[in-house]
Amino acid sequence: MAEKITAYRFDCLEQTLSQLNKEDCAIIAGGTDVMVLHKSRRGVPPKILKSVVFIDHLSELKQVNQNQKDLHIGACCTYSELLEHALIPVALKNAIKSIAAPAIRNRGTLGGNICNASPAGDTLPLLYVYNAKLRLRSVNGERIVAINDFIQGPRRVQRDPNEIVTEIILPSVLEEDAHVVFEKVGNRNADAIAKVGFAGYIRINDARIEDVRFAFGAVGPTMVRSLNIEKKLVGKTLPLADSDIAEIVADFDKIIRPIDDQRSTAVYRKIVALNLLRYFLSLKQYQTK
Amino acid sequence: MIKFTLNGRIVETDAPPTARLLDLIRDEFELIGTKEGCGEGECGACSVFVNNLLQNSCLIPIGAIAGADIQTIEGIMETEQFKLLDESYSNAGGVQCGYCIPGMIMASAALLSNNPHPTEAEIRDGISGNLCRCTGYNMIVDAINLAAKKGDGLWQKK
Repeated sequence: MAEKITAYRFDCLEQTLSQLNKEDCAIIAGGTDVMVLHKSRRGVPPKILKSVVFIDHLSELKQVNQNQKDLHIGACCTYSELLEHALIPVALKNAIKSIAAPAIRNRGTLGGNICNASPAGDTLPLLYVYNAKLRLRSVNGERIVAINDFIQGPRRVQRDPNEIVTEIILPSVLEEDAHVVFEKVGNRNADAIAKVGFAGYIRINDARIEDVRFAFGAVGPTMVRSLNIEKKLVGKTLPLADSDIAEIVADFDKIIRPIDDQRSTAVYRKIVALNLLRYFLSLKQYQTK
Repeated sequence: MIKFTLNGRIVETDAPPTARLLDLIRDEFELIGTKEGCGEGECGACSVFVNNLLQNSCLIPIGAIAGADIQTIEGIMETEQFKLLDESYSNAGGVQCGYCIPGMIMASAALLSNNPHPTEAEIRDGISGNLCRCTGYNMIVDAINLAAKKGDGLWQKK
């Protein structure tokens, strides 16, 4: 173990940001993706070319709090911590329970899942339908960016080297009486990387659709969402007419362009994605909360 | 130098901070009960407790656990809980080749410590991160059920 590796583990966020301002580092939160990505032989540490900075212990990044009706989730909260937190909505908890397995949920973080920007990132379809925003901090201050602007492609995010994602903001999530569905299709219930991910969000007033959102994962370089298609359904009454459902499915058929890879095929992915959508649209009644 | 607690003993290492906890446990501290299966967090053979939480040691860079309390299968072998699991796994026929068993025991202990009377679905979720290629899992589920029944009062929430 001769190779010299520089790693930092500061006591507070300020020191961490100050180091990032001086040096471009690889940021490690839970490490559940980074350690696999850079894996080398047994007994040999992963090959990470930059200096490393550990952030998952920073208490500033582990807070969950409420601001008006918005939910603010610290980027380094693990899935298990979110499952135990009273403020996290039941729909989000149910989705988290279907992600990974206990050991990974004790280590993986929400911020890590976002910054890893995998096309199959488990939480991403859900965060897209929640209209999640991210707070980024650097020594120069902070900014807030929508998740769909932040994630630009596979493993590409709009983060400057001196910035850290500190918080995930779910706007209005604590007041909306929305029905949220999350589906993940994989080879195994636990720990599998998704072949298809789907999140659906619907808010109804007296059988009329007030707001509806869909996001698909693992069927394109980033999550697939379309505000134009969603808009077509606003104001319609449930149950939806078959022709309405067919139109929406046909619209998504045009914009979902999956690929073949080791986990699945383009054909399978598209059929499953559209079936999940059709099933979501065909439900007669939605339970909120 | 990274310092942490390993099975109750304070230890130090000068291994690089990105070294995997799994390699350190096996190669430097020669605790070989913890196994490497997939090395990618999908099989659970390398499960350990980090501050009492079940985690995959193949995914943990040791720099991230400075000051933490780590327990491996060797560290829990003297506990009543381990003895009960050992007996239950034997009685239920839950062990065949045995490679996954240290990880299975860690996952079983983690599950029962949080939830002393799990349903079958909760047991299956509790070991969902652990792969066994021999038993087909049913005997392992039986073993955990047995340990839950016999261990009344033993599995207090930590």
